[in-house]
Amino acid sequence: MPNRPAQTLLVVDDEPGIRAAVCDAARADAERCLTAATGRDALDAARRQHPDVIVLDLGLPDLEGVEVCRRLREFTQVPILVLSARHSEAEKARLLDAGADDYVTKPFGTVEFQARIRAQLRRARRPAPPHGPMAIGPFTIDVERRSAARGDVAVHLTPTEWHLLQTLVANAGRTMTHLQLFRAVWGSSDGDPQQYLRVYMAHLRRKLEADPYAPRHFVTEPGVGYRFEIEPANGQ
Amino acid sequence: MANSGRPPSRWARWTWPLSFAALAAVTAGLFAVRGEVDKAHIVLAFLLVVLGGSAAGGRLLGIALSAVAFFIFDFLFLPPYYTLVIQDPLDWLVLVAFLITGIVAAQLLARAEERAETARQRAVEVERLAVLGAETLNVGRAEEALSAIARVIQSTLGVACCEIFVARPGGGAYRRAAAAGACTEVGEVDPAGLAAWVAQAGAPAAERGDRTALVAPAPTPAADGGAWTPLPLWNIEGDVRALLVPLRVRDRTVGVLRIAHDAPVALDPAGRQFLDALAYYAALAVERVHLSAEAERAEAFRQAGQLKDALLAAVSHDLRTPLTSIKAIAHRLAERGTAEAASIESEADRLNRMVADLLDLSRLNAGSLPLRLELNVADELVGAALRTVSGVRGERLVLVQAETPGVVGVVGDIVQSVRVLVNLLENALKYSPPGAAVELAIRRRADRVEFAVADRGPGIAEAERDRVFTQFYRPPGTAPDVGGAGLGLAIARRLAEAQGGAVRLEPRPGGGSVFTFDLPAAEVPALGATGG
Repeated sequence: MPNRPAQTLLVVDDEPGIRAAVCDAARADAERCLTAATGRDALDAARRQHPDVIVLDLGLPDLEGVEVCRRLREFTQVPILVLSARHSEAEKARLLDAGADDYVTKPFGTVEFQARIRAQLRRARRPAPPHGPMAIGPFTIDVERRSAARGDVAVHLTPTEWHLLQTLVANAGRTMTHLQLFRAVWGSSDGDPQQYLRVYMAHLRRKLEADPYAPRHFVTEPGVGYRFEIEPANGQ
Repeated sequence: MANSGRPPSRWARWTWPLSFAALAAVTAGLFAVRGEVDKAHIVLAFLLVVLGGSAAGGRLLGIALSAVAFFIFDFLFLPPYYTLVIQDPLDWLVLVAFLITGIVAAQLLARAEERAETARQRAVEVERLAVLGAETLNVGRAEEALSAIARVIQSTLGVACCEIFVARPGGGAYRRAAAAGACTEVGEVDPAGLAAWVAQAGAPAAERGDRTALVAPAPTPAADGGAWTPLPLWNIEGDVRALLVPLRVRDRTVGVLRIAHDAPVALDPAGRQFLDALAYYAALAVERVHLSAEAERAEAFRQAGQLKDALLAAVSHDLRTPLTSIKAIAHRLAERGTAEAASIESEADRLNRMVADLLDLSRLNAGSLPLRLELNVADELVGAALRTVSGVRGERLVLVQAETPGVVGVVGDIVQSVRVLVNLLENALKYSPPGAAVELAIRRRADRVEFAVADRGPGIAEAERDRVFTQFYRPPGTAPDVGGAGLGLAIARRLAEAQGGAVRLEPRPGGGSVFTFDLPAAEVPALGATGG
């Protein structure tokens, strides 16, 4: 990616081996790599060095991962990519609700990790949601004008489906928890949000994915939430 | 019983002389005023004496006083005086009425007294049973409760020795669990001896002084299924030195109670019933010992299971950090052109998955795998599963065929359902020839939704079809380093069953296998055409 300012990465992990591996994997995308071994050091570094992305391990000796996310979010909107080891899907959803942007499960592959870092950096550089018509596979979508088409054939979406699509597009590349999506689209978490959400997502996929059984843009993170990917990360 | 009845008062031996003295005094007093009092007054005065005597000295004294008063009345107070002749026929009526009243009053008083005495005895027994109950419940350790009960029985019945025998865990032999009083030392209960017979037959027995035994008929089980079957009152006669009573809870013998005495054991029916009740308490205590031992064992098992789970979780967690480093280094080596680096990375993944599988299997076995059963849509399960297997799939195709149109709903845990599908797909991809596509069909069948994964692999012989779902199963002839640890299908089936689903295997027409995962179907909420 040419002509962009040098990016700074902050890696928070108490294992020196992981810190080195993360810095090494991200060296193509982040020129500067800062490290911290504890949650307090991480908060301190984030305040003073203004990193462009934070990679946060959850097994820190001093603070809970959720707590570090919460405290970071008190003063910065920097993307947070969480490294989790043995955490259940419910715990991951809790982290995302506390302000994390994405998570990678150990042991992660370098390619997967680089894709996630890139997606976060891209999001950070472009804080506003994408404007104008977007090409999503064979579909063209314009969320502002509320129009979708496959070639010349218009695709009809219901108002709720548009609302859901807008929310996902505005947070493209980011895993949205069920709670976050429901709050954004329905404005509350009353009732039985998850089952309606699943059915709406199924309808969206059937309308906007070439193959609803092999979705490339409307990705399910089982037990956690959904992520909209403009450019499929794994190049399927 | 050692102390039946009320202890005699020190005035008891004076009751008879005093009563007759009172009769004489009343006679003398009435005689002095014989001309001025009515016959009815005389009768009432005598009745007072008779009632007083009955109350103080019992039935016999009351009747004796009535008889003597009868003659005195006739002789001194009914004309003609100083003869037993009665002139007026109405006097006969007075006389006979007096006699009958006196005797009936004596009888009634005596009966009331007997009832009061029985009630007092029952009160004593209830009090002792209450003490026994409190002892049983208060004692912290169950084994100590047995000793407490043996002590209470021994002192209550006033016998030399009371012993309680209970079955050893695993059945068969009996051991002495508690003893109170002067008992002979016994290490082990003679399996051919009387105690073993009592335990086996569930019927009481007695030992005589001449070392012969007396056995009772076995009790019939309680018709109402009650917890306590009273033992039959069998005949114990002669020089009985020891009584053995089976300890029974819910028609099951849990132990034997033995009381022994250095003199013949004499127990009246009430005492035998009391022994019966005591034996039931002892049986409950034995049962409590048994249950608490079982609870301790279950707790130990649970803790061992938790420990294993925690250990596996810790190992799996701790492995992930070095595996992450290994994968990062392998990736760097691959970038520098080391050909084998890719296999280091995939082997690291395989190791990680094996540890994760072991952890899940351990949780499944312990029943501690968290499940969230809720409405899910088939599209999503399949989509997430295909995304997960995209790495191992490579160039091979998975053809999805939806046989039921529309959004199909299932009830299940999404994370674990995806894992079931992933394991079935990986298994199919592993054993399929490279050019053959794996097919995944989705269909609704009555109240189930089926996901059928069909491969063109070598197929599975009928004899092996159940065994493929056992842990660590490997098909015959598999090289030791091929594939995983043989946990994938076992975990798939266990995970499916844990959420109300199933995994079954059928041969595929034309070669290969079909693994079908099914889940309960769910109606998908209808969303308005304009979308709520």
